[in-house]
Amino acid sequence: MTARLKAEAVVKRFGGVTALDGVSLEVSQGAVLGLIGPNGSGKTTLLNVLSGTIRPTSGHVFLDGERIDRMPAYRVVRAGVAKTHQIPKPFHGMTVRENVTAAATFGAGLREGARVRDEVGRVLRLVELEPRADVPASALTVQEKKRLEFARALATGARFLLLDEIFAGLSPEEVRASIEVFRRVQAELGFGAVVVEHVMRAVLSVAHRVLVLEEGRSIAEGTPQEVVRDPAVVEAYLGQEAARAPT
Amino acid sequence: MRIIGSVWFRFREMRLRTLPSTLWKGWRSLGPTAQGLGIVLAVLGGLGPVLPVALFVFLILFMIYAAWAYSINLITGMTGYVSFGHVVFAGAGAYALAYGVTAWGIHPLAGVVAAGLTGALLALGVGVVTLRLRGAYFAIATLVTALAAVYIVSGTPALGDGSGIRFYLGFQIGTQYYAIWTLLASEIALTWWVTRGRIGLGLRALRDDEDAARAVGINVPRLKLFLYVLSGGFAGAAGSVFTWFNSSAFPDAFQLAYSLDMLAMIIIGGMGTLSGPWIGAVVVNVPRQTLLKLLPQGQPIVIGLLVILIALFLPGGIVGIIRKYIPEARRYLE
Repeated sequence: MTARLKAEAVVKRFGGVTALDGVSLEVSQGAVLGLIGPNGSGKTTLLNVLSGTIRPTSGHVFLDGERIDRMPAYRVVRAGVAKTHQIPKPFHGMTVRENVTAAATFGAGLREGARVRDEVGRVLRLVELEPRADVPASALTVQEKKRLEFARALATGARFLLLDEIFAGLSPEEVRASIEVFRRVQAELGFGAVVVEHVMRAVLSVAHRVLVLEEGRSIAEGTPQEVVRDPAVVEAYLGQEAARAPT
Repeated sequence: MRIIGSVWFRFREMRLRTLPSTLWKGWRSLGPTAQGLGIVLAVLGGLGPVLPVALFVFLILFMIYAAWAYSINLITGMTGYVSFGHVVFAGAGAYALAYGVTAWGIHPLAGVVAAGLTGALLALGVGVVTLRLRGAYFAIATLVTALAAVYIVSGTPALGDGSGIRFYLGFQIGTQYYAIWTLLASEIALTWWVTRGRIGLGLRALRDDEDAARAVGINVPRLKLFLYVLSGGFAGAAGSVFTWFNSSAFPDAFQLAYSLDMLAMIIIGGMGTLSGPWIGAVVVNVPRQTLLKLLPQGQPIVIGLLVILIALFLPGGIVGIIRKYIPEARRYLE
């Protein structure tokens, strides 16, 4: 049986504001779900609920049938769901290698020195950060910091990754290179992923399915091709962009 | 029998050959800073029998301060959580010993142990609540515990109301000296231990970015609480030696000034480092016991100014600044 990450009717209110209003989703291991929607539609909140960073007001999150929505975030990671931060949060005082080592040690629970070293080396090679392994994390470029977030999430050994705008703020060439890396790594490791993204081209090229949020509700779900043609989506989100697109 | 005999012989041979080299390897793996501190501690320990009383007094007070510095270093230095309430643990330890020796007639060494447990338990209780708060909120919450403690102790009849507890146990300066020496040595060993390996890695992660630390699977609440409890325990034990040394515990054992001194020592010396608290204790406590005795009112001003100057111009304290500008020293000074 393939592993599944599943959210059921998740509601999240902050005071009087309803950020998520009954969102459900399901991702199986090996599949990539794109999560798109206008600003403030609840994408990041949903990732925070899935990762255990915040607790839903109601609704549940399951990993392989086990409820994880009441678990503290660090246990969700150990259970197999890791998140990257929209604004990278590297451990500044550590080298790139040490950053990834922390994830392999605590997230994946590797204890033996040699195994940790092998795993860290493998992850750094996968995300092409190996040449920068012994540089302090504070000295990295934005693109490299995003790679480091990705590398740390991988090193936790998670079966599901929640990736918050890992392509945002990059130049077009960097986006292309990062998409390339993501697809290769995903194909090789076969993790499941929920990818929140503003860069449309990136979502459409990495996601197998796409879920569209608007004001905390899901308004469409389907393959990237279906979703971009959905009139509700075009109106809510792609409006201007689709109108301008030379189709 | 011959087989057993030859096995035993080989075993002894092996031990004889490897024991010195194992010890040597262990010593080398401590690193220069721990070796240096170890030598200083060994000298202090060895001097015990031949010290004149005046020096005993000086060194006991110095080691009490150093023990406090290492204790607050465990939480504030290692995690960045600024604890203004550390005096609560020290004061509680002081009263635990005073109460134990007067009400139950226990040996003062048992009092020190009880004081350590009291400090640790109190830190557990306070920590469970306050460590959920971050940054300034944690600092304020701990400040409140310090202010509240004075009133609670002053209003408790069993603790002598506001007039404190006095006791006289005779001349025990040597025992006091080795008690605080043992505490200090244990703290230094503990500090060395938590900066290494798995815990050390988790701590550095926690200090850099707590959210990211959670996101890579570190049990952040437990790690913080673990350090806070150890920290409270040692602060309490050191506080009890102070009280034992003074033969009395008064509510002013809860004076905020003690918390500020503890913070001053690690800010000046270098937060979260192995040698910083020691250096801070030398800078804060030695002048206090010598030069600054001439102007008692001036002490807080001089120390306060020093803290402000260091916080402004030398973040990282004395150890931090040496490590920054003399890269060669990094290997030798942790």
